[in-house]
Amino acid sequence: MMPDLELRNSDPEADAAFLTRLALFAARRWTPIAATSGPDGLWLDLTGVVHLFGGEQRMCARIVRFCARLGFTARIAVAGTGGAAHALARCSEHPVTLCPSGHEAETIAGLPIASLRIEDDVLRAARRLGIDRIGDLLVMPRGPLQRRFGRTLLERLDQALGRAAEPFHPVVPRDPPSATLRFAEPIATAEAIERAVVELMTKLIRTLEKAGLAARTLLLLCSRIDGVEQNVAIGTARATRDVSHLLRLLSAKIETIEPGFGIEAMRLVAAHAEPLGPQVIESALAGGKPAPDLVPLIDRLSGRLGARRLFRTSAVESDVPERSLRRTSPLAETAEWPREWPRPVRLLSPPERVENVVALLPDHPPRRFTWRGRAYAIARADGPERIYGEWWKRAGEAEAVRDYFQVEDEDGARFWIYRRGDGLDGRTGDLSWYLHGVFG
Amino acid sequence: MTYIELQATSHFSFLRGVSSCDELFAAAALLGYPALGITDRNSVGGLVQATIAADATNTRVVAGCRLDLQEGSSLLVWPEDRAGWSRLTRLLTLGKSRADAQHGEKGQCFLHWEDVAAHAKGLVAALIPDKEVAAGLGRLADIFGGSAFLALTHRRRPGDAMRLHNLDRMAHAHGVRNLATGDVLYHSPDRRMLQDVVTAIRNKCTIDELGFRRERHADRHLKGPVEMERRFADYPDAIRATADIAERCAFSLRELSYQYPDEIVIPGLSPQQALELMTQQALASKFQGSVPEAYSKLLAHELKLVAELGYAPYFLTVNAIVAFARSQGILCQGRGSAANSVICYILGITSIDPVAHELLFERFISPERKEPPDIDVDFEHERREEVIQWIYQTYGQDRAALTAVVSRYRARGAVREVGKALGLPEDLTAALAGQVWGWSNEGVSDRHVEELNLDRQDPRLSSTLELARQLIGTPRHLSQHPGGFVLTRDRLDDLVPIEPAAMADRRVIEWEKDDIEELGFMKVDVLGLGMLGCMRRAFDLLRNHKGMDMELADLQDDDVKVFEMIQRADTLGVFQIESRAQMSMLPRMKPREFYDLVIEVAIVRPGPIQGDMVHPYLRRREGKEKVEFPSEALKKVLWRTLGVPLFQEQAMKVAIVGAGFTPAEADALRRSMATFKFTGGVSAFQDKLVKGMIANGYSEEFATRTFKQIEGFGSYGFPESHAASFAKIAYASSWMKCHHPDVFCAALLNAQPMGFYAPAQIVRDAREHGVEVRAVCINRSRWDCTLEREDSFSALNQEGLIPLRLGLRMVRGLSNVHAAQILAARGETPFATVEEVWRRSGVPLASLEKLAEGDAFASLGLDRRQALWQLRGLGAAPLPLFAAADAREAEIVEPKVALTPMTEGREVVEDYRSLQLSLRAHPLAFLRPELNRRGATRCNDLCRIKDGRKVEVAGIILVRQRPGSTSVTFVTIEDETGIANAIIWSDRFEAQRRTVMSAAMVGIKGTVQREGEVIHIITDRIEDYTGLLHSVGEMHFPHRPGPGDGATHGGTPDHRQRERSVRTLPSLRTGGRGEPVIEVKSRNFH
Repeated sequence: MMPDLELRNSDPEADAAFLTRLALFAARRWTPIAATSGPDGLWLDLTGVVHLFGGEQRMCARIVRFCARLGFTARIAVAGTGGAAHALARCSEHPVTLCPSGHEAETIAGLPIASLRIEDDVLRAARRLGIDRIGDLLVMPRGPLQRRFGRTLLERLDQALGRAAEPFHPVVPRDPPSATLRFAEPIATAEAIERAVVELMTKLIRTLEKAGLAARTLLLLCSRIDGVEQNVAIGTARATRDVSHLLRLLSAKIETIEPGFGIEAMRLVAAHAEPLGPQVIESALAGGKPAPDLVPLIDRLSGRLGARRLFRTSAVESDVPERSLRRTSPLAETAEWPREWPRPVRLLSPPERVENVVALLPDHPPRRFTWRGRAYAIARADGPERIYGEWWKRAGEAEAVRDYFQVEDEDGARFWIYRRGDGLDGRTGDLSWYLHGVFG
Repeated sequence: MTYIELQATSHFSFLRGVSSCDELFAAAALLGYPALGITDRNSVGGLVQATIAADATNTRVVAGCRLDLQEGSSLLVWPEDRAGWSRLTRLLTLGKSRADAQHGEKGQCFLHWEDVAAHAKGLVAALIPDKEVAAGLGRLADIFGGSAFLALTHRRRPGDAMRLHNLDRMAHAHGVRNLATGDVLYHSPDRRMLQDVVTAIRNKCTIDELGFRRERHADRHLKGPVEMERRFADYPDAIRATADIAERCAFSLRELSYQYPDEIVIPGLSPQQALELMTQQALASKFQGSVPEAYSKLLAHELKLVAELGYAPYFLTVNAIVAFARSQGILCQGRGSAANSVICYILGITSIDPVAHELLFERFISPERKEPPDIDVDFEHERREEVIQWIYQTYGQDRAALTAVVSRYRARGAVREVGKALGLPEDLTAALAGQVWGWSNEGVSDRHVEELNLDRQDPRLSSTLELARQLIGTPRHLSQHPGGFVLTRDRLDDLVPIEPAAMADRRVIEWEKDDIEELGFMKVDVLGLGMLGCMRRAFDLLRNHKGMDMELADLQDDDVKVFEMIQRADTLGVFQIESRAQMSMLPRMKPREFYDLVIEVAIVRPGPIQGDMVHPYLRRREGKEKVEFPSEALKKVLWRTLGVPLFQEQAMKVAIVGAGFTPAEADALRRSMATFKFTGGVSAFQDKLVKGMIANGYSEEFATRTFKQIEGFGSYGFPESHAASFAKIAYASSWMKCHHPDVFCAALLNAQPMGFYAPAQIVRDAREHGVEVRAVCINRSRWDCTLEREDSFSALNQEGLIPLRLGLRMVRGLSNVHAAQILAARGETPFATVEEVWRRSGVPLASLEKLAEGDAFASLGLDRRQALWQLRGLGAAPLPLFAAADAREAEIVEPKVALTPMTEGREVVEDYRSLQLSLRAHPLAFLRPELNRRGATRCNDLCRIKDGRKVEVAGIILVRQRPGSTSVTFVTIEDETGIANAIIWSDRFEAQRRTVMSAAMVGIKGTVQREGEVIHIITDRIEDYTGLLHSVGEMHFPHRPGPGDGATHGGTPDHRQRERSVRTLPSLRTGGRGEPVIEVKSRNFH
């Protein structure tokens, strides 16, 4: 609508993931106890770490500068209680606010009660009664307040003033499971590398089992004597702890490692691990053959060809053939293919022009045509199938019409040919012919 | 052989077809079709329109219908003759009666093969081969025998030829003939996009998500016969079959003859005899035996005409209805052309004396017009339902039904729906829709788009606007007309299908009022007039509180004080003369007697002003022009209106007297005026009139000028009798306002919503006239607003006015049921505390909160916040234990809590939110210092400013009006001292359209224009001060313009043009943004 305005869709999950990463980072760098607060904030417990950064003021300024470098405007407030800090950070105008310990009540008295993390309906009701600031709440007797607004309001007030405790749940950074092997003598032969890999894999799988995890991405890091690192990565479509499967995938890639003068240490990291509980084994007693498991095959093919080259096609509800299918990941669910009308197995993209077409307008199939230099004479045909363009996708398709014919030549080969235009109205197309697909 | 298209869908297949019958038939005529079959889905609603279109284009319509059965098959049926038609309508009625309208099945039709079998005689049927063809064919052949066909249609999908071949073989196997059809959905290929959009609207999704729900078969436009014959070259018999069916099914809707119910009111006498007897008796009793010759001559003349045309039952029916209403004490009055007849006058149906007013009977019925007379009767709005129920009981459910109203897409709704279907965000479509004026059908123009800073080139946006423009006028669904009844002698469902309406026990036919008129059925309009209800309340109040017993007929038309009040334009709340336009005209017209009021009511309307009738009349009246007549004959016709024709009857009389028209020809002239824009048939009359006048000795220039004047009437000219009926009510309400403003205000408030102004203005006006208005009080208010005397002996104040107590009905959100509970519990003992109210009445806390928001607990010593505080402290339901403990015992002892009191400004805004008015102060009173700083004048001080001076005024927008299609907009604003009227010319309006349309408070800078006492401001600039207004209470001000506002409502408050539904909702509309306000479903219109 407004061409100068750039619009991006909101992505709350990505935002939340980023915030968690930031919290993990904070937990590593600034304070051991950090957690996310809502969709856009962090809790940091600064007990005992402030002196490492030169005092509260300097630490806060540093954090604000760090966020600015990441591209965010941050506000930070420090107070004796979590509730007061939350209120000050959300509602104060200054980027850094420090509340002297024990003086929470005076400092937050001027803030609106919305900063106390209470529900919307309680907030609205309080506003209607003229209660706008925390200071108004402080002077009111508690009994009537509790009766009218429930426990949450007073709870939050107490938490802010330190009368009630408020623990929070910090995020704990975890290192991904890994197994390391250091060699007394640097190894350089393929067999040695393979043996080392087997040992590493066994160790790693044991670690994973103990943690109840399974790997989806494995990273093999080889450190050479000369300091150069050689890395190999494999990925699986489904989290697995199957040693033989993983080894097979990894062995396929081991040829790419250049040992150079020798490898002195190898590390196998499960870069991406997912929880995996005990698995049900299909029993032969249940009768019938179990469905073949495609996942190992998919993994091997992806490993050899690259994950992007392996896909499945799913149907899209569209009449325009080019748009009637889309690619999805190999394991995804696919939509039902419509069965009523035959469609060619192969679609040419883009459709290829055919020449020398002889056909009776407006709706008779062609008698012959020339494609890729070869002439075809038509014995049997069916059609026309009239397909309109999707006018809401592109303005140019508003009038476009394609008449499709399924034709069979004298040798029995079947083709899908279309003509642009309905033969009556010039706006619908220029009457040129194209071959769009091949049957069988 | 020639092919005839028998399967065409009009837009009466709601949200499926997108072409109107006019378009379809025009296209058919262009393609050379001799006939066209219309088959809508489970409906024959469009067939009358089709018949009209067919007549206009000389193509025949083959009436038909597509029946969608529950088993999944679909049949096309065409009736061969009248009997077949009756079976079809009965079949559809049966199917629709099975739908449960209260549970969302409104309009649906459930039919089975058995039903079809039972109603098959006289119908020709074709099966649509979608599913289960073999079984369907078998049943079809069994039921219809030689009248069974199989519809073959090209689908333009793979395997079509094979499919048709197989169907052909199957048909032969069952002994059924083939029929070629085109399955037409629209008349031209250009409509394909719109059809996709309505499919998306029907499926309630966007067009991107529509997928395979789109119509998948191609070529659904109307194709020419040659093309169809070429396509079906392999099936010549199928082509022949179309011609055969078209020949067989020669039924035309015109065969449905006129039908009046049999009214045997006096046993042994025919209706005509009964009518004659009744009128003679009434005439004799009216004049106590000595009847003047004029009346008896006129009566004899009328009765003769009525006997010729067989209309006696009609009059008897209407008389029966009015008699019933009078017997129940319901105020009613007839109006329209019926008021011309002395039959109606004597029977008491109307109250205008035709002899005294020299009215034309031929205006009412004439032998040339073969259509039934049309009588509208206004009833008291709230009690109209009783009359409706009586009609149903007396005539039975199978001979009486309401006509339908086809609600169609208007500009706003079209933009919204199409925008939604094309995936535009809602705020964008709302902004576009908001630019459209009221209920106009102009569509959103490019200018509006640019005003909103949108990119016109954006493809989706331009598609939206284009398609919305095409969608305007397309029907969406059927709803019931509020009061149009159809009454027949035969069973109604032999003529037209009847379906149940959303309201219980109501049945609606599929056709509209215009369709009924076209076919000549009898129609009675039972309409509701808010002012009649108001007057009845006023009379009741007068009787109860001041001991004066009178009614409408008692008010003499000659009270000088009343006319002085009218001349001052002090007419806020008065029927018909309260609008801004009227108030500007009254000081110039200066009505002195009843006939002046009649003229005032008739001419101060957009049409006459444009038709150059008003100004010549005014000039003559003010003495600026000499009153002269071109001849003696014309002087007799025009002397009462100073030589200027102002009424429709006068136009007709001029034609008769001046140009020698017969009365019937004059009536034809009048009718052609109403539609000349569309059919252009008026030029024939022009020649006749001019020639006739010249022959009678008038100058050609005069004749042409006269014709131009008559042309200006168009459809705007009022009939004199109509104006007289209205003027009577206008006088009555003026009398009430002049002598008993307290009673008037109370009655008006109780009869809301009605009229031109909102309650705030009504109360302000009453207060200015010395009425004391008291606030809503939990202990003293009743449901209605009442007059409150301390006791029956206390003296009235020096003007004889009693204080008015606002009733509980003014409180927003309080239901009648709960209020009744509170009043019952209150009885004689007033409440002392909030808790007591709760305990004694047992109403839910939410209702009490509404009362607290309306400041109803002030008499208990609690302001709003304190009352809400106390209410919030009460539990979910009172415990029975405490009920026994009684109110004397203090309830839970709580420590005292001090709440911040509201600012005065905030109190005022809250008043407006809850009651739509405030007795404390006007919101602008708080802004006056700021406005003074900006140099704004008070509205009251405008009369001190000289003509031509520049001025600025500020105020809340009350009303915006754009009369007719003129290029000028009138805006009325109000501040704490009064109101001001501003005129905005179209260039200024377009430049500042957004401000005018969307602001709640504005500042108007312009020049003063004075004409005597009437002051307008010619606007130069208009500024949006809504922000200032919001600052009064530090919250959004709930701005609700009055019902007369053209920008948000349908247009003028002219009663004829505004349709009301029976159940009117309180006049609360979505107010300012942010605060939750009540949403009002806008009935049928957007």
